[in-house]
Amino acid sequence: MSKYHFSIILLILAACMVQQFSPAIGGLFGARILILPLVFLCCSVCVNFSSMLVLAFICGFLWDAQHTLGAQGGDPTIYTDPVESLRFGYSIILYAMMGLLMQFIQPLFRKVKWHISSILTGIAIFSYLFTEYLLLNFVRGDFTFPPSVLYRIYLTSALTMLFSPLIFWIIYQLASSCRHNIRYEGLRQKHRYID
Amino acid sequence: MKPQNLIALLLFIVGAVWALTRSERSVRNIQSTYYSAISPFLKGGAAIETKASEFIQEVEHSKALEMKYKLAKEELDQKRMEVAHLRKLEAENTHLNQALKFQENVPFHVLAAKIIRRQPSTWWHTVTIDRGDKHGVGVQLPVLSPEGLVGKIDAPSKDTSTVILLTDEKCQVSAKVDGTPEAGIISGLRDTAGESPSLLLRFLSKDANLKPGMLVFTTGRGGLFPPDILLGKIKTFAPGPLFGEALVEPAVDFTTLQTVFVKIPKPLTSAREIREATANSTKK
Repeated sequence: MSKYHFSIILLILAACMVQQFSPAIGGLFGARILILPLVFLCCSVCVNFSSMLVLAFICGFLWDAQHTLGAQGGDPTIYTDPVESLRFGYSIILYAMMGLLMQFIQPLFRKVKWHISSILTGIAIFSYLFTEYLLLNFVRGDFTFPPSVLYRIYLTSALTMLFSPLIFWIIYQLASSCRHNIRYEGLRQKHRYID
Repeated sequence: MKPQNLIALLLFIVGAVWALTRSERSVRNIQSTYYSAISPFLKGGAAIETKASEFIQEVEHSKALEMKYKLAKEELDQKRMEVAHLRKLEAENTHLNQALKFQENVPFHVLAAKIIRRQPSTWWHTVTIDRGDKHGVGVQLPVLSPEGLVGKIDAPSKDTSTVILLTDEKCQVSAKVDGTPEAGIISGLRDTAGESPSLLLRFLSKDANLKPGMLVFTTGRGGLFPPDILLGKIKTFAPGPLFGEALVEPAVDFTTLQTVFVKIPKPLTSAREIREATANSTKK
């Protein structure tokens, strides 16, 4: 593992710690800055496919370790209708899907169109939260989608997206200090891209 | 696809399947390890937050007075909670219909805990408290405040614990409406962001005669929560084809909650230790 990749993992762990202090903003429908997913998304543009999968596993694992709820508990004859939760590990899949989305736009990054990546981080966060909420509805039944949920997802995505240039800058600094050349090859062959 | 990517993809799938097939116990162990690892950061962050707020308040109060005030307030809250519970027991005793339960409903042992983090996840209504395994906090223990039921312990680690709040859909409580034979299951609604949270009381009789303002208490059935803890008051009632449902306004104001009490099976060793633990909690 190169020094660059090691520093990226450290950045992910640091993001996990910082995430602990990111509060939900009550006035904005409980929106918050999702630092760990943001760092993962930015990193996934700047690494190759296999490294992205490793990062997706680490981030998904940490995310679920923090957020997975336990079993209902209590007497099943009284609590006859237990409420299900999302299984531990589902975030690993969701992170990989978000990372895959970011990998597809790597060639645009090569063309110094970093702002597209920034916008895409917002779209990826939106997709992630939206999918998560749909999954939650699926496992619990009774599909509900109040406007406040849409506002929360939208505002969280927008707030998080604002910080993506900063994260990209940090990643560039790391790459520079590690003398690593970030290659934006994408998943497809070179000649298929529109230059 | 490059061979390296293919191998990485296969390994990733194996890893994801491994994670998805972890048992409840394994997940608990993973979470406990995770929270033990981050608890110094959580406590550090909470300490910084506390210091910052104390600095602002020092304009009006000295630090020593502030500390004494907090200590006295916590003690007062604890006493108020005990008094509220005793009053309820007294009323029951007056009605002579709960005489047998009286012994079961003697004032229970509680452990004061401070909330060090609010709503850490996007969808779940949870808080983190500064009490864990080493203080005698275990999974599924009820968490109370002087106003009523707060929730239950979801994931205890060594130093901290996650509390799932009553306003979460997953926190189900067996409940009854005071002064009526109506009983059901109360829980939070799926998402009430930006609104004052409400609780949903289900499985009531479809022709229940419920009026706004009626009080809702725990029944004590189900093995999780003690009886006669206040949950809230009825806002509206809607009869359904099979069952009736009522919206309930929680008794606890979850936005201003700072100190909670975990109902523990027995005190640490003595009342003095509890007071010291409470004092330590305040100091942190």
